[in-house]
Amino acid sequence: MAFSGDYMCDSFKLELLTAEHNFAAAGDSFKIALYDDTSTLDNTTTVYTPTGELAATGNYTTTGQALTNIDPAWGTVKALCDFVDEVFSNATFSAMGALIYNDTHASDAAVIVLDFVTLQTATAGDFTIQFPAAADATAIIRIA
Amino acid sequence: MLGQTGAAQVGSVTVKTTNHTGLSIEHWADRALERIIYVAPDSQSIMKDQAEAYRDQIRKVLTHFIAQAIKSDRTTLYNLFLQQGHRDMAEILRKL
Repeated sequence: MAFSGDYMCDSFKLELLTAEHNFAAAGDSFKIALYDDTSTLDNTTTVYTPTGELAATGNYTTTGQALTNIDPAWGTVKALCDFVDEVFSNATFSAMGALIYNDTHASDAAVIVLDFVTLQTATAGDFTIQFPAAADATAIIRIA
Repeated sequence: MLGQTGAAQVGSVTVKTTNHTGLSIEHWADRALERIIYVAPDSQSIMKDQAEAYRDQIRKVLTHFIAQAIKSDRTTLYNLFLQQGHRDMAEILRKL
C-alpha cells in the first residue's frame, strides 16, 4: 500500500508560523488532487506533485479541483478549519488518496495528505469527498 | 499558562461514490444537516433528545426544498432543450 495514513505535512506546520496560508472564505485557493496506489505521499510531502496523480480521463482534471473554504472557527478548545464537500461529477475513475495543497502559494505548498484506506471507484457517477464535522474531535485541520 | 499542551491534528474524510447516477436528495439533506446542527456525542441526554428532534424537523424541510430546487432546474432544462429542438431529451427530463 502506497498510502499509509492521513498526514498534516511537516512543511505546512512550519509555513503556518510564517503566515503562508489563509484558510478564510476569501483567503487562499486550496485544491484537492486525487492519487492512485503508486503514490508515496506522506508527512514529508512539501508541494503538489503530479507523480501518482490520476490521469486526465473519466472527467478528472490533473491538478485536481478547487475547494470552497469555510471561515476557520473556534470550537471548544481548538481552532478549526473546514471545507465544503467536493464533488467530482460524472466521474469514471478510482483513487486511493488525495492531497490538499495551496494553489495560491507560489510553490503549490502541500497542506494535508488523505488516505482513503481502500480503493474508491465511481463509474459515470459522483465521486464525493465529505469533510468531517467542524468540531474539536473531528475537523479536517485542528490546532489545539 | 506555561506547559500547556497543544497539537496540530488532521481529520479523516469520507468518500462517497455512485455508479451511473448521482447522490440522493436524502444524502445532501443529511450533509447540510451536519453543517447546520452538530450534536456532540457527550451532550446531556435531554439536550441531545431536543437537538435530534429539531434535526429531524430540519431534515424534512431540507429534503422538501432540495427536491423542489431539482424540479425547478429540470423545468429550466426542459424548456432549454425544447427551445433548441431536442424534444426527445426534454421528455426524458420531464419524466424523471
